[in-house]
Amino acid sequence: MFAILLAAVLAQAPVAPVEPGPPPDAGVPEAAPPVPLSALPPATHELFKRIEGRVAQVRIIERRSGTRSSIGSAFFVSAAGHAVTNYHVVSDVVIHPEDYSAELVLRGTSEPVPVRLIDVDVVHDLAVIQMGTPVTDFFALEDREPPQGARLFAMGNPRDLGTTIVEGTYNGLIQDALYERLHFSGAINPGMSGGPTLTGEGRVVGVNVATMGNQVGFLVPVRYARELLARALQAKETDAQALLATVRTQLLDNQQRLTERLLEAPPPKHSLGSYHVPGRWSPFLKCWGDTPHDPEVPYTVTNYQCSSEEDIYVSSNHRTGVVAFLHQHATSQKLGALRFSALYSALFAQDPDAVEATRQDVTNYRCKSEFVDVGGLPVRAALCLRAYRKFPGLYDVVLRAATLNAGTSGVDTSLTLAGFTADNGRRIARRYLEALSWTK
Amino acid sequence: MDEVIFLEVLEGDSVQARHRLERFPASVGRGYSNDVILDDPKVSAEHLRIERREDGALVLRDVGSHNGTFRVEPWAPLAELELAPDTRVAVGDTVLRFRSRNHRVEDTVVGPAPSAPRTRVFERPRTFSLALLALLGGSLLEGYLTNYGRTDWGELTVALVAPLALVLLWAGGWSVASRIARKQFHYRAHAAIGALVLLCGLVMPMLLTLVGFSLGVGGGMPLVHHAAFLGLLGWGLYWHLRYVTRWEPGRLMRVLAAVTLGFGAVSRADELLGNESFSESLDFPRTLLPPAFRLAGARPVDDFLEDTAGLQEEVDALAKEE
Repeated sequence: MFAILLAAVLAQAPVAPVEPGPPPDAGVPEAAPPVPLSALPPATHELFKRIEGRVAQVRIIERRSGTRSSIGSAFFVSAAGHAVTNYHVVSDVVIHPEDYSAELVLRGTSEPVPVRLIDVDVVHDLAVIQMGTPVTDFFALEDREPPQGARLFAMGNPRDLGTTIVEGTYNGLIQDALYERLHFSGAINPGMSGGPTLTGEGRVVGVNVATMGNQVGFLVPVRYARELLARALQAKETDAQALLATVRTQLLDNQQRLTERLLEAPPPKHSLGSYHVPGRWSPFLKCWGDTPHDPEVPYTVTNYQCSSEEDIYVSSNHRTGVVAFLHQHATSQKLGALRFSALYSALFAQDPDAVEATRQDVTNYRCKSEFVDVGGLPVRAALCLRAYRKFPGLYDVVLRAATLNAGTSGVDTSLTLAGFTADNGRRIARRYLEALSWTK
Repeated sequence: MDEVIFLEVLEGDSVQARHRLERFPASVGRGYSNDVILDDPKVSAEHLRIERREDGALVLRDVGSHNGTFRVEPWAPLAELELAPDTRVAVGDTVLRFRSRNHRVEDTVVGPAPSAPRTRVFERPRTFSLALLALLGGSLLEGYLTNYGRTDWGELTVALVAPLALVLLWAGGWSVASRIARKQFHYRAHAAIGALVLLCGLVMPMLLTLVGFSLGVGGGMPLVHHAAFLGLLGWGLYWHLRYVTRWEPGRLMRVLAAVTLGFGAVSRADELLGNESFSESLDFPRTLLPPAFRLAGARPVDDFLEDTAGLQEEVDALAKEE
């Protein structure tokens, strides 16, 4: 999974029209023939100077200690003092408004300015905050996609070291992603979250959001920031309850979209031993498999797992919006039925990793376990639910099932759905179970 | 005081030795010339003498002992003491009590009609050996069936030696208790009880698991396991204690019922009080047995999913609790 950057500041140049001719450049004196701008090394220091005032550091203040508990970056997008940052930078203010507040530290000043949280887009990890005073210098957000390979500049405040500009290249949308992200090949580091990534002309392409290390960075496409800003500009007074309700609505809409995507077609049947199991159901699922080969053990267990490998950040300890499943096919020529059932019970007793959440976020699981007839195939199945405490109507759903048709072979399977309604969870679980069959 | 009196050597409240004194004067001391010999190193060789005075009263007189003679109640050193019934006197570390021949004893305890002593099943040599063999066989089988990896001889050896050692040590502990309380070890009976308890402890969970799987019981099996464990604990303690105490079976049963229920309640106090700590674990039975063991019918997928409607209400109620 991606590491999320908890502080990023990036400044960008004003949206200047693409000037023909070579940009002023110290390093290339003989640049005479006109070449496309994106192919030329831009003057990074000029870009930086032009835009540094539009980027600020966000500080999340814990009220009781009176000091910052985390930092991030933001950039101004309206004359009225609206700024865009990541949802995960300000999530504490959304979830625990009584304990946290946000403030901005503008470049060149040391006095923080209190800000209000106007609107959020939890699914795309964006938030709009607003400063009380108007600003003169800000980015106009427009949606134009740069060509792959274009040189981009990420700005931010990595690890609170001061405003930094980082060069990298644009690599388009991540393929088969569940939540749209741009791939930026450049060093994005913790502390740069919420900062902008720009073209050489200073046009915002995306919002720094996460990194996988080794120059693999992720951006939220600027389109979502624009849509959120348009909503925020119309927003009236918002209170903490309304923001939580917004988050809940967005999570509900997102799980509905996911459910519809999954239920468009039944899952493809993937063959595993003498069984058919649900395969790569939707392109956003990444599937992996392996059979550990140990000549010493008298059985084989083959794993096949698919996961969205992405999640939605709700709060520092709570993730949602996950679809994942795992099949384990166990078979043995050497074990008798009773000894095989000991192995099979041990597999059935191992649950997949739970989606991260704490006592404040979710309840404990409650399960219902029965023998189920899946198209003639007897299965021991259990469905477990836990409710979200802050977002009524949303649940984590886990389906566990093990086939019971043969003495010395079987498939144990688990499906994890994080942040779905119970009805959608059941609908997906039914399709999933129905994709289980025995081929002999 | 009457003609014949008894001198009793006390140990705590009970009498360790009783001497009949018929002729006076009678001498008491550590030496072999005495009428009553006391093996107490703090008692002098010639310690005291009991004489009849001219008026007929019996008098105890210290004959120059090294550590002295003391009246017990009230505590006082004495050189001479007129003996009355139940007089107690301390010499060295020994307490002596004097009683006359007409001392009244308490009424006879009326017991149930005695019956010929019955050999209980635990006391038969065959019970012990059969129980032990069954235990070792069961333990070995369990070790073999639950190991799905390569045959692990070390583990199988432990499966044999561990219960054997446990039974023998366990019986040792109880038989020492029996010896102290009832002067008899009853080692074989205790060993047989211990072996039977362990055997049940091994077989019972297997049977319950089997029944739970066969009937497709969805939950509640942990409670049944707990109750069965408590029952077994009560049964084992009852029979061990029958060989240790002299209590009536009824009284023993009442005490043990209170003890096991109390223990059961305390060990489940958290649940009974409704305290549930936060956990990410999924709580449902994990046992899978070969298909032939399944007796309960399989329900259609739709019915199963309909059955889960109650879960939603349950977790919604949990979410509202805080």
